[in-house]
Amino acid sequence: MNEQRKAILDMLAEGKITADEAERLLTAVEPGEPAPNTTARPKGKAKYLRLLVEYVENGEPGRVNIRVPIALLRAGVRLTALVPPQALEKANAEMAKNGVPFDLTQLRPDELEELVNHLDEVTVDIDSSDAQVRIFSE
Amino acid sequence: MPQLVTVRVRRPGHRTVRLWIPVLLVAIVLSPILLLALIGGVIACLIFDLRLPRTFAGVWRVIAALPGARFDIERGRNAVLVIIR
Repeated sequence: MNEQRKAILDMLAEGKITADEAERLLTAVEPGEPAPNTTARPKGKAKYLRLLVEYVENGEPGRVNIRVPIALLRAGVRLTALVPPQALEKANAEMAKNGVPFDLTQLRPDELEELVNHLDEVTVDIDSSDAQVRIFSE
Repeated sequence: MPQLVTVRVRRPGHRTVRLWIPVLLVAIVLSPILLLALIGGVIACLIFDLRLPRTFAGVWRVIAALPGARFDIERGRNAVLVIIR
């Protein structure tokens, strides 16, 4: 019996509360039905991003298993703020030349950090005939 | 900060290579080279007009976040495993 239940029953025994009040209080302190997904990890608690790839190439099986600390991603994102603008412009030009018109200067470190913060909700599962890719956080 | 790096390399027809690298010890042994790298970093910061304390704090944050990283790559009978602790 936990402390709260004992305290309520003591108050009832001493006549401080009525039976109805005691019932209401006991209902309030009793654990209810577990909420759905209570077994899932609490939000923001992921420590690692995991990449698992299993593939077959030229008849040879291959496997890639990479675990990256989320803190490392966060540190890397903060480091991008140090990249000089002229380097970003050069990278933009090279990417555009190769058919990827992407503006790196539009990527803000705080937005990237927000992305990293929500990585624990990410699960990517790709299945094909010769490869399986799983990306998730743990 | 990383304390130990474990490297395992497996190749067919060769003995499996296992290395346990104590990072601090290696850093002390390689300190003259690290000092040169540090000077190079300072010069690069001055050239690219980067703030030194912020840059070094950022790099240090990356190094400090490395423990726990694991890279395990296998292909056929070849395999490479790197664990940073």
